[in-house]
Amino acid sequence: MAQGEKQRSVLRINLDILNAVRDEGEAKPTHILYKANLSHERLVKYLDDLTAKGLIEMKQEGENRTYSLTPKGVSFLIEMRHAESFIQGFGLAI
Amino acid sequence: MGSIFRGAERNVWTFRPDDVSERLKPIVKRERRKLASGALITFCLNIMSALVALLTSYYAYKANRFVSSSVLWAISIGFMLLGIGLVIDAGTSLISGRTLVDITGRTAGESFSDRVLTLLASLTYLTLQMVAYLIIGVGYLRSTYGRQSSAAAPAAVVGATLVSLYSFSILSYFVTVILLAFVVFQGLLLRSGHAGKLSGMVLLAFVLIFAAHCVLLVSVLVLGSGLFLIGTAVQFLGFLSLLIFVLRSEVVGPG
Repeated sequence: MAQGEKQRSVLRINLDILNAVRDEGEAKPTHILYKANLSHERLVKYLDDLTAKGLIEMKQEGENRTYSLTPKGVSFLIEMRHAESFIQGFGLAI
Repeated sequence: MGSIFRGAERNVWTFRPDDVSERLKPIVKRERRKLASGALITFCLNIMSALVALLTSYYAYKANRFVSSSVLWAISIGFMLLGIGLVIDAGTSLISGRTLVDITGRTAGESFSDRVLTLLASLTYLTLQMVAYLIIGVGYLRSTYGRQSSAAAPAAVVGATLVSLYSFSILSYFVTVILLAFVVFQGLLLRSGHAGKLSGMVLLAFVLIFAAHCVLLVSVLVLGSGLFLIGTAVQFLGFLSLLIFVLRSEVVGPG
């Protein structure tokens, strides 16, 4: 994180991860890690949380692990998109 | 009944109570129609503004489920109170056929119980409006400067209820104007930090509602029905801007 930049909220980090997964379709952890700007340890923790909440699902094919959005994750992202737009309208940020 | 002037026999001048009431009937009718049309316009504008306020409250509540924010909570509660207050005011206008300015300015031709109910409804509306903007203002304050709150404002609300509706409506609109000026200022500060695509529309809405309350304050001071209607119309434009923002935020997404 750049110096002087405000610390991201948990929700913001989760959203960055979900957006990264959505953009890729089936996203590899390294791609998510790069796009969400997280360390490997923190990424694993957040991915586990999101999987437990049923927002993303993991597919394992041999050595390769990929993550994709579940229908619940897709609808969550849509709702969040509306909420974020509303919040920004009042000069706030997530 | 006999005439009171000698010239009555020659039809020069007569004074009969029945004649007076007959002569006044068309004037009273015209006045009542004028009052009723003003009240009907106020009813329509306020009921639409109330719907937008309640819709904004619902969206703020929905957004607050994801992001626990004191400002969103304040916006949700504040707009809900504002919506309820506007519904009460709209109902009062429709039932009594008078606007707030007419109620404070004219008293004739209304039964005591009707007048008490109208006064109570207007008092409730003004209090709800003031408390709503107070909550929104404090919400913005907490967001900008941390967890500080104003203790003076609730005391003003309690004190204000002790005076008459006329004084109270002046005081209420004055306090509301001050609170709205504060909300606009805080909105400007927050907007400079996180300017979304649509944040200008929210700011425009608050600026219009602020301008409307300046006009409403003057209308209550001079008891001008026309000015009161203009103020209500400008307030409606503010809520219209808010409605466009709420609808567009559903389509555009964050910027």
